[in-house]
Amino acid sequence: MGVVGSLALHGAIIAATLFTFSHRLDIIDQSSPVVPVDLVSLSAKTNVTATVRPAPRIEPQVSPAPPSPAPAPVPVQAPPPQPESEATPPRDAAEAIEKPPTAVPKARPQQAMKDENKKFDVDNVLALLNKVAPAASRTNARTAERTVRGIGDQNAMTADLQALLLSEIRACWSPPVGAPHPEDLVVDFDVFLNPDGSVARPPQLLAQSSSSSGDPYFRAAAEAARRAIYTCAPYKLPGDRYSQWREIGDFRFDPRQMMGD
Amino acid sequence: MQNALRTIGAGILVLLAFVALIAPASAALRVDVTQGNIQPLPIAIPDFNTAEPGESAGQNIAGVVRADLGRSGIFRPLDPKSFLEQAKDINVPPGFANWRVINAQALVTGQALMQPDGRLRVDFRLWDIYGETQMLGLQYFTAPENWRRIAHMISDAIYQRITGEKGYFDTRIVFISESGPLTNRRKRLAVIDEDGANPIFLTRGDYLVLTPRFNPTAQMIAYLSYIGGKPRVYLFDLETGRQQMLGDFPNMTFSPRFSPNGNKVVMTLEKNGNSDIYVMDLRTRAVTRLTTDPAIDTSPCYSPDGSQIVFESDRGGAQQIYVMNADGSNVRRISFGGGKNGTPVWSPRGDLIAFTKQEGSTFRIGVMRPDGSGERLLTNGWEDEGPTWAPNGRVLMFGRTLRGGRGSQIWSIDVTGRNEQKVITPGDASDPAWSPLIQ
Repeated sequence: MGVVGSLALHGAIIAATLFTFSHRLDIIDQSSPVVPVDLVSLSAKTNVTATVRPAPRIEPQVSPAPPSPAPAPVPVQAPPPQPESEATPPRDAAEAIEKPPTAVPKARPQQAMKDENKKFDVDNVLALLNKVAPAASRTNARTAERTVRGIGDQNAMTADLQALLLSEIRACWSPPVGAPHPEDLVVDFDVFLNPDGSVARPPQLLAQSSSSSGDPYFRAAAEAARRAIYTCAPYKLPGDRYSQWREIGDFRFDPRQMMGD
Repeated sequence: MQNALRTIGAGILVLLAFVALIAPASAALRVDVTQGNIQPLPIAIPDFNTAEPGESAGQNIAGVVRADLGRSGIFRPLDPKSFLEQAKDINVPPGFANWRVINAQALVTGQALMQPDGRLRVDFRLWDIYGETQMLGLQYFTAPENWRRIAHMISDAIYQRITGEKGYFDTRIVFISESGPLTNRRKRLAVIDEDGANPIFLTRGDYLVLTPRFNPTAQMIAYLSYIGGKPRVYLFDLETGRQQMLGDFPNMTFSPRFSPNGNKVVMTLEKNGNSDIYVMDLRTRAVTRLTTDPAIDTSPCYSPDGSQIVFESDRGGAQQIYVMNADGSNVRRISFGGGKNGTPVWSPRGDLIAFTKQEGSTFRIGVMRPDGSGERLLTNGWEDEGPTWAPNGRVLMFGRTLRGGRGSQIWSIDVTGRNEQKVITPGDASDPAWSPLIQ
């Protein structure tokens, strides 16, 4: 009997643990039946994670000390002396050609107008950045209606979400064309979205794609993908299925088809 | 007892349900993006701060950086009139939200300050607007008159940080400047900065000069000149202005080109109507013959590791591109794409060979891999020829002859075939050669 009691109690404890656990997540997740589990191993060595860190890390540099962490010494007498043979006529030509480098903004008179724009735009961005706009993003419910319900396969249910995301990100991603070895420049991000379609936290580069993370080309490719993820937000996805697109566990950017035309 | 069993059963059921719920979650949404929209990166580059407002250095440097990056086709410098914020202190992180409003994805803040010792100190920082971090921060000291080079170096640093590739703005182009009537052209050796500034003429035009080529490690040019009516290869040192003949060969020498380490010059020597490829060691002046075919072998160019040489030959009947080991062994043809193919140039990056293709009466610039695969034609002019690589292997320049004797020009194009642009030269220009990054 004691054994049975012990078993019963153990069972009860297990059950209780499970219930409280899922309950806690339910609250966070706004009644999603899905328990999100992050089993993603994050890249430890990529440079990208470093740049993703929040801005406060830079604040110490506010000190008036010389800013540069890596001063690049420069040959003070840089341009080599011009050959004496025939330097004179060309110098004249040089002056003729050397026009004042590009447009200098002399828009002082327009200051007032600029200020107006400024205020207007700032309001705009505040509205954009405001995370309390889920109603707007819910308008795109078209795809939800043609979801094949009842099949029960997660892939079938999210295929339309993938198509939606693809159609949006395609316009935002400028792939790193012209770099050598595009097959090494495939990057995978783990992305969390807010209910309003904005990016919830800095996208994390997945370890599987960071085999060559020390490579400057790879870093450039990863940063280009990250810029695309940010600039495309907020994403317009069916709000009633937030639980399905809350996390894009593998947002993969593969430039191979975009290389060389 | 039965109750207990039921409890256990319930526990197991709950566990199973839990596992069932987890399973789909771990198969989280997966998106595979293979198509993008190639577009330049919007970058904000306000005028650099100066000690006294209105000092020209701050405007000048920022202006050159904007022009450099814009010309690359990889960046789109935003109009300074659209900026909502002036970066007053470059040591304080900018208001990122203000830059997001104008759709900037990167921001360059800088200052140019005169030092008590008369030198100019230039600092700049490159900011990631969405990541809200500093991507780069560098400082330069220079004589004030060198501000233009500092601007090019800043452009190079930004280009390298964003693309992962070394820049090419702090470079020069040597070319043949042409002037006078078509029947009596005056051809002079000339040099310009990569952006067309600072043109300098190196020769007077008394003698015909052809095919100037930069030493990849130094500011030295090899070229062909007809001094005394005989074509010979000369070396011109840009630092000292000294010119010397490479060697007094008893025959005609053509198409000189340096080895990647700058110690050798590979070239064509013509003897009894037969052109073959020879290499000269610049330290010992020893000459070695590499090809012995009775056909015309010319336009040799080393691979960046120095182990192979690409050249053109008509040994197969028409002019085609061949590759051989640096000692002349293992010759194999790589161009099979149709038409005649010549003037091959190996990319400093090693991944491509640029060439001129002649089909009918048109000449176009193309690239192919060193094994001859992946041939792509980049230009569509009437007579485009003589490609030369930027030191980063990302951009090409070439000579373009306009139809009907309307002149000759130098153009540049991205290796992807995008961003074709005319290079600013004083008057007509042909046969460009791109320098390495200036040391």
